[in-house]
Amino acid sequence: MCAVQLEVRNISKTYETGLFSRKARFVLENISFDVQEGRTFGIVGESGTGKTTLGKIIAAIEKPTAGEILFRGNTLAVMKRKEFPTFRRNVQMMFQDPEGSLNPKKTIRKSLDEVLRLIKMPKGTREYAIRDSLLTVGLSREILVRYPNQLSGGQNQRVALARILLLEPEVIILDEPTSALDISVQAQILNLLKDLQLKKALTYIFISHDMDVIRFMCHDIGIIKNSKLLATC
Amino acid sequence: MKNKTTLNRLGLVLVALFVLVAVFADIITPHSPWKRFEPYEKPSKDHWLGTNDIGNDILSELIYGTRASLIVGLGAAAIATLLGLLIGLASGYFKGPVDEWLMGITDIFLMIPRIPLIIILAAFLKSSFWIIMLALGFLWWTSTARIVRSRTLQVREMDFVASSKCLGFKNRYILLSDILPNIFPVVVPKFMLTVATAMISEASLSFLGLGDPSMKSWGLMINFAFIKGGLINEMWWWYLSPGVCIILFVFSIVLLGFSFEEHREIVIR
Amino acid sequence: MPDEATSSLNIRELKVTFDTPLGTVKAVDDVSFELNAGETLALVGETGCGKSVVAHSILKLLPANAKIKGQILFRNQNLLKLGEKDLAQIRGKEISLIMQNPALALNPVYSIGHQMTEPLMVHEGMRKAKAILKAKDLLKRLRFIGPDVATRAYPFEMSGGMKQRILIGISVILNPKIIIADEPTTGLDSRLRDMVLEELRLVKEMDRSSMIFISHDLKAAREISDRIAIMYAGEILEIGSTAEFFKEPFHPYSKKLLDSLPERGFNPIPGTSPSVIHPPEGCKFHPRCTSRKEICSKESPDFVRIKDRDIKCVLYS
Repeated sequence: MCAVQLEVRNISKTYETGLFSRKARFVLENISFDVQEGRTFGIVGESGTGKTTLGKIIAAIEKPTAGEILFRGNTLAVMKRKEFPTFRRNVQMMFQDPEGSLNPKKTIRKSLDEVLRLIKMPKGTREYAIRDSLLTVGLSREILVRYPNQLSGGQNQRVALARILLLEPEVIILDEPTSALDISVQAQILNLLKDLQLKKALTYIFISHDMDVIRFMCHDIGIIKNSKLLATC
Repeated sequence: MKNKTTLNRLGLVLVALFVLVAVFADIITPHSPWKRFEPYEKPSKDHWLGTNDIGNDILSELIYGTRASLIVGLGAAAIATLLGLLIGLASGYFKGPVDEWLMGITDIFLMIPRIPLIIILAAFLKSSFWIIMLALGFLWWTSTARIVRSRTLQVREMDFVASSKCLGFKNRYILLSDILPNIFPVVVPKFMLTVATAMISEASLSFLGLGDPSMKSWGLMINFAFIKGGLINEMWWWYLSPGVCIILFVFSIVLLGFSFEEHREIVIR
Repeated sequence: MPDEATSSLNIRELKVTFDTPLGTVKAVDDVSFELNAGETLALVGETGCGKSVVAHSILKLLPANAKIKGQILFRNQNLLKLGEKDLAQIRGKEISLIMQNPALALNPVYSIGHQMTEPLMVHEGMRKAKAILKAKDLLKRLRFIGPDVATRAYPFEMSGGMKQRILIGISVILNPKIIIADEPTTGLDSRLRDMVLEELRLVKEMDRSSMIFISHDLKAAREISDRIAIMYAGEILEIGSTAEFFKEPFHPYSKKLLDSLPERGFNPIPGTSPSVIHPPEGCKFHPRCTSRKEICSKESPDFVRIKDRDIKCVLYS
C-alpha cells in the first residue's frame, strides 16, 4: 500500500458571471481525491471542464474558492514560509501547448540555466546538470543555442520536462502534455514519461480528454463531469 | 521584403544624422546662433539660410534647434514611456485592486485636457524648457500604460509564466525576465511615436509663444518667423526650414519605430 | 454521373521549396498523385511532411518566398501557370479550401446569413433573396434545426461546433467540384470530431465532389477516405486504397506509424523526423528504418506497384 502523498479536499472554484446578477458559476464543485506516491492519477473529462484549473490549484499557481490541498499531510494554505519552498520544488506542472511552455525570447540554455541559478547551483555543476538533463529526455546538446520557435513540438515538450526535472520534484502534474503532438511523437513522450516514473519514483497527475492515453498511463482515474468528480477507480 | 528593410535603414540613418547634428552642434555651426549680423538678410554665401529679425544666422539656429527639439522630444518620451511601462506592468501583472486603482488614475489623467493644461502651467510658471518636457512627459504616459497593460495581461496568461511561477521564481524576476522582453516589441515603437508627438507638441507650444525663449527650438523659430515679419515678407527660407526639419525628423523616427515591430510569420507546417 | 474531366485533379512532380535565412526548405519533393472523380483521398503524415503545403499549392496560396515546380492539372489546365484573375475564379467556386479551425474565421459583426450569401452574391451575381433561400436550404441539408433563425443570428450566439459546421457550409456553398479539407479535426474533442467528419461526408455527397482530406489523424482518415497517401519529409511513401492499407501496410514507416497508435500500444518510432533543409541522402526514412539496406542510404527508391498500392521502398522491388 503506497503512502498518500497528495490529498485534494473539497476543492471548489467559482467564477462570478452576469453583469447584474453576480451569480456564481461552479467550474469545480467539491472535488476530493487522494494521490498515492509513485503512481499516476488520471483526471479525465471533456475539454473545458476545469481540469486545467484543478491542475493549477493543486500546483498552487491558482487559489481555490474553497477547499484545501494537503501535501504529505500538511495543508498548503497554512504552510509556514519555511515549508512552502519545499512544496514548491516538489510539485511541478507541465502544460499542453509546446509553443507556450517556454519563453520565446530565451534560448534553451538560458531557460534551463535560470532554473539552476534559482536553486543556487554553482557554475561548474550547472553545466553538468544541464547536459545530464538533456540526456535524460533524449535531446542533443546542439539545441541549447536554439530558440523555442526553432524546435519542434516534441522537442519543446522535452525541454519543458527537462526544466522541471532539474528541480528533482516528487510530483509532476501533466496537463494534456501530448495532445498537440504528432502520433509517433506522442508515443515517444508517453514512453519517456513512463520510463522516468520508474527511474525516479515520480508521482504523476495526468490530465487528459483522451481515454486511450489515460488507459496507457494511469493507475488510478478520476472523471470530471459538470464540474463534479464522478468516480475514482 | 527588400523595400521594407531599405526604409528601415533610411529611418536609422536619418535619425542618426539628426542625433549627430545635435551632439556636434557647436562644431558644425558656421556661426554662433546668438551672434548678431545684419538682420533680414537673404540667403547668401555667408549665411546659407539668411538671417532672422535680430541678425542671427538661421542655419546656425536650425542646427542648435536640433538639440533643443531632440532633448524635449526624447526627454518627454522617455518620462512618458517609463511611467507608462511601470504603471502598465504593475496593473497588468498584479490585477485586482492594484489594477483598479492604477487604471482609475489613468482615467483621471486621460480626462485632463493636455494642451490647455500646459498653457496654464506655462502662463503661471516660467516657460522653462524643462517644465515643458516634464509636463508633456507626465501627461502622456496614459496611452503607453494602456498598451503595456493589455500586452502584459496577454503575456501573463501564457504557459511559460505559469511555468516560472511553478518553478519558484519570484514575481520581480518573472516581470523582468519573462514579461518585459515580450513587451518590448510593443513599447519601443510606442516610444518612437511619442518622441514624434512630443516634438510636434513642443513646436506647437513654441509656435503659440509659450516656448522657452532661451533655447532655440524649431517651433520657436517658426514662431518668430511668423510674428516678426518673415511670412509677410515671403522669407520662405526662414519659416519653411524649421518646418521641414520637424517633418523630416518625425518621419525618420516613425520609420525607425516600424522596424522594431514584431513580425509574426505564418509558417505552413 | 460525375463528370470525369471536371472533378479530377492530376498532380505531377510537384516540388515546393522555401527560401529562408536558415537555408532552402524542401517542403515538397517530387510528389505525384491523382484525385479521381468523386473519391476522398487522405493525405496523411506528421508535422513537417509537406501535406499542407501540397494543399495550399493547389490554389497557389503559398507565401512569397515559395518556389513551385511541376504541374497541377485541373480540367486540362495547369493551375500553376494561371494568373491571379483566373485563379480567383476557381478558388471557392471549383476548388474550395476548408482551413483548420474554421470557427475562428467567422466575422463577428456580420450575421450568419450575410456571411453565407456573400460568396453567392459576389461570385455568381445572385440576388439577395435567392441567395438567402440557397443558404437556408444548405443549412437544412446540414441538419440545422432552425435555418430561418440561424441566418439571422450572429456568430457569438452559436456554439463552437455550430460555427464549425457553418463555415464548412460556407466553403462549399458554391458547389465546388473539389474540396480540400486541411486538418479539419485537429484540436477537437471526439464529439466535435465526429460531427465535423459527418458534415464533410454530407457536403461531399451533395454535389458528388471529390475531396482531399489532409490530417495527421489516422483514425479520421480511415473513417472518411477511399484512398490514402502517407507522406514523410515531403514525399509520398505509400498510396493505395484505405481499406487495404489498414489491413496490411507495406512501407516500414507506415507500419511503424500504425504501431504508434493508441490501440496498438503507443510504440514509438525511434529517432526524430529529418531536417527539411538537409534531408538524408537516399531514402528519407532510412536513418530510422529497422529494415534498411546498404542501398537505402545511397539512392532514393522508385515506386513499386503491388496490386493497387504504390510503395516507395526497395524492400518490395
